[in-house]
Amino acid sequence: MVEDKNQNVELTDHEAELYDRQIRLWGLESQKRQVQLRAAKILIIGLNGYGAEIAKNIILAGVKAVTFLDHRNVTVEDWCSQFLAPKESLGKNRAEASVPRAQNLNSMVDVKADTSNIDDKPDTYFSEFNVVCATQCTIMQIKRINEACRKHNVKFFAGDVWGLLGYTFADLMTHEYAEDVVQTKKIQISDSGEPMQKEKFENIVVTEKHIETFVPFKSILNVTKSSLPKDSEIYYMILIMFNYREKYGKDPLPSERESEKLKAEADIIIKKYDLEDKIDHLIESDLYAQISPVCAIVGGIMGQEIIKAVSQKGTPHNNLFTFNPDTLCGKILRLGH
Amino acid sequence: MAANINGVFTENLRNAILQSKVLIVGAGGIGCEILKNLVMTGFVNIEIIDLDTIDVSNLNRQFLFQKKHVGKSKADVARETALTFNPDAKIVHYHDSITTSDYGVSFFKKFTLVMNALDNRAARNHVNRMCLAADVPLIESGTAGYEGQVELIKKGLSQCYECTPKAAQKTFPGCTIRNTPSEPIHCIVWAKHLFNQLFGEEDPDQDVSPDTADPEAADSAGQGALNSESNEKGNVDRTSTRGWAQSCNYDSEKLFTKLFHDDIKYLLSMDNLWKKRRPPIPLSWKELPDGVPGCSKEVNEPGLKDQQRWSISKCGTVFAESVKSLSNNLKALQEKSPNNHLVWDKDDQSSMDFVAACANIRAYIFAMAGNIIPAIATTNAIVAGLVVLHAFRILENNLKACKSVYLRSKMNHRNQLLVPEKNVNPPNPKCYVCAPTPQAVLAIDTSKTTIKELDEVVLKNRLNMIAPDVMIDGTGNVVISSEEGETEDNNNKFLEELGIKDGTILKVDDFHQNYSLTVTIVYRERSSLKGDSPDFVILAKEQDLKPKEEDLVKPSTSNGQVEISDDNVMIVETETSSDVAKKRKIEASEENLSKKRKLEINDVDDDISIIENDINNDMDKNTEEKNDDCLIVHDDNKSIVATSQ
Repeated sequence: MVEDKNQNVELTDHEAELYDRQIRLWGLESQKRQVQLRAAKILIIGLNGYGAEIAKNIILAGVKAVTFLDHRNVTVEDWCSQFLAPKESLGKNRAEASVPRAQNLNSMVDVKADTSNIDDKPDTYFSEFNVVCATQCTIMQIKRINEACRKHNVKFFAGDVWGLLGYTFADLMTHEYAEDVVQTKKIQISDSGEPMQKEKFENIVVTEKHIETFVPFKSILNVTKSSLPKDSEIYYMILIMFNYREKYGKDPLPSERESEKLKAEADIIIKKYDLEDKIDHLIESDLYAQISPVCAIVGGIMGQEIIKAVSQKGTPHNNLFTFNPDTLCGKILRLGH
Repeated sequence: MAANINGVFTENLRNAILQSKVLIVGAGGIGCEILKNLVMTGFVNIEIIDLDTIDVSNLNRQFLFQKKHVGKSKADVARETALTFNPDAKIVHYHDSITTSDYGVSFFKKFTLVMNALDNRAARNHVNRMCLAADVPLIESGTAGYEGQVELIKKGLSQCYECTPKAAQKTFPGCTIRNTPSEPIHCIVWAKHLFNQLFGEEDPDQDVSPDTADPEAADSAGQGALNSESNEKGNVDRTSTRGWAQSCNYDSEKLFTKLFHDDIKYLLSMDNLWKKRRPPIPLSWKELPDGVPGCSKEVNEPGLKDQQRWSISKCGTVFAESVKSLSNNLKALQEKSPNNHLVWDKDDQSSMDFVAACANIRAYIFAMAGNIIPAIATTNAIVAGLVVLHAFRILENNLKACKSVYLRSKMNHRNQLLVPEKNVNPPNPKCYVCAPTPQAVLAIDTSKTTIKELDEVVLKNRLNMIAPDVMIDGTGNVVISSEEGETEDNNNKFLEELGIKDGTILKVDDFHQNYSLTVTIVYRERSSLKGDSPDFVILAKEQDLKPKEEDLVKPSTSNGQVEISDDNVMIVETETSSDVAKKRKIEASEENLSKKRKLEINDVDDDISIIENDINNDMDKNTEEKNDDCLIVHDDNKSIVATSQ
């Protein structure tokens, strides 16, 4: 992590020289980063409302190529937030239906659809990409994709939105990145030795290099209660929703609001983590389909994290971002390390 | 659409969404995102207003627009595209300014709630007052680089947009702008001053040439003055910059050589300045490097035109082209009347090109690591999402849950990236806008200020009124009337001549905004030195007039403080750099930075503004400058690009 290196410091001659070199380095660094962004190939798995938001953000940012992988068809629930698929594409393949509008966002980006089922793709498939971002997958699928990405040194992201709540997860393995830090340096007015000397400060930007180590998705499952911060309600909710998806092969539908099936999954987690009534209000809240403004929020975070990862610029979220629709708090949990 | 599907929302919220009527003010970066969220959610009755047309530079984030829409009305195209997402929505669009009298209190009363997606303070102030007058909840939002915020404004329940005094336009010491720029904003201020010197209204306080009276250069200036004569103010005497430019017929090579070579050489001769600083490097017109500021080589990259970084040689070309076009415009204007001049306009391509090119070149010369990038698409998306979640709460009649939320560029010590306030901030009882009987104190030189200045500069410009009426309390004399032809005779009279003096109480009324303000006049002598102190001061209460010692406007170091704003107004606070440094230390220990942040982000009128992407020390943000028409961001890209939200 970045240490606090920003105390007001008087720049020594030696530091000034160093700073000068960092400036030059920074220029080269930044050029490299820009090129990396423009060369990046991204795979988005699952073109629901959340996937559409992620796609919009990275296409606007201007990567080289984006592939939409989805074997599912457009559903009525997609109408809640999937703005890339036209309404009349109901029942058609979701990846294909999303391409024309996505392409309109930026003609410089190569946008493609792949209608295969992710389970039919060999591990080598993922090596074609710099970043793989998976939504609407089961735990099993995420574990497998994550592992394949690790094997081929591909940055991996996963995320979901259930109704009003959502998360992003990142496994960037060993990630090197640059970070611009503003330092305040003191400029001495004159060296005439007069007592009335004024102090003067200027901000300078220094680029620092950092390395961050990530863990795979499997490590953030089943973490112990004691290793979780106090307000980790959304983490528990994510486990519940995943367990439901794992068991039934899909998420609960809006028509199944207040169904016993979801309550049963919730009870298991509540018992396991001894949560009493702490998450009851969330279980009763809107967890069905995907609500557009929440897709925009969590998809905005995900988009930004992907851009940061490929350009190797800025501290990445390590490793779970959770959005709580009740408090409107967006929080980063560092789990499984 | 979410509200059309059983079970997505509670019945209560679902019905409220379907029955609501909402207004979006602004169809820019945030406005496009809000509109998409609303139609996908199933809102039916939506109205959107924006006076702008689509520019190529908008396309990288205002995603409802495409290349083929350039030049068309933003509100119109936003509506068209949003209707393809949800053909059942009923969207009314206005290609118009929200401040015109067509949109009065009764217009605002039609709506269940109003969402601001604006990029300037004047319009925000206006919508704030209209929503207070109509008693309609307003969701205010803003972004600057990677940061943003959303807040509810509801009469009697929460702070209004004007409850907290917005930071005054910040000033920089003249010698920083002219001699030792260290941040990109200094270069932008310099470039805007240069624009005025060459093409706009000439202002002696906006000199752009080296300042030999810089106290820091004290020891060396004499020797460094290169035998030039300098006047007592430290300006090298010569005909005005304008006169000189005209005499060489705005020859771009000559201008360039003087500004970016000769003047820089002159600065280098003041060697005390460069003992601790990196000395600037003069540029030669004939050998402009391909590098971009902070970067050694030009990068050829795909992307939209306005996102591309300019190399210095490209800046040189843009400089020459914009000088040519601006000097032609000036000539044409002056043929009509010799006193005519150009007025800086961020929406004018040549003006923006000129300032961007000059600021870039200067940033390169001074090896500035700062850099400038456009507004960030993802920030707009996140903030717009929060706006619509606030709208849900208003529709559920749960206004107390609409706590302000701040998006940070980096997580805070509690690992939060989206940080909600604990409570809705209550209104400021002293607010001169939303208090039950709004009052303010105006300290002004009643013997030297004309009625016209009171009307234009104080009431309209500073207090954002549209059509004020002013009556002297007690006598009932109307000194300013919004009706044309009624009080024009008063225009050139001084306040005193009409009996306005220390202690006079004015009843100011803006019928359009449904806003009444009682103003108590306090006599305050106008300083003879322009730029030294503001022409007038507005305060909530008279006691504030007696400044604490550190608030006193410091005598300027050399040639006065350089002000960014066009008007000559500021709120009593001037910081020296060391004050800032002290403050930073204090603030470092404060937990809640969010309140300050709020002010600043709201202030962004964002064509270009500065954000330091460092974020390890948030304190630095407090010293940042949010300029009226410029948003500069320290981040990956390195050119100064004109942008708006």
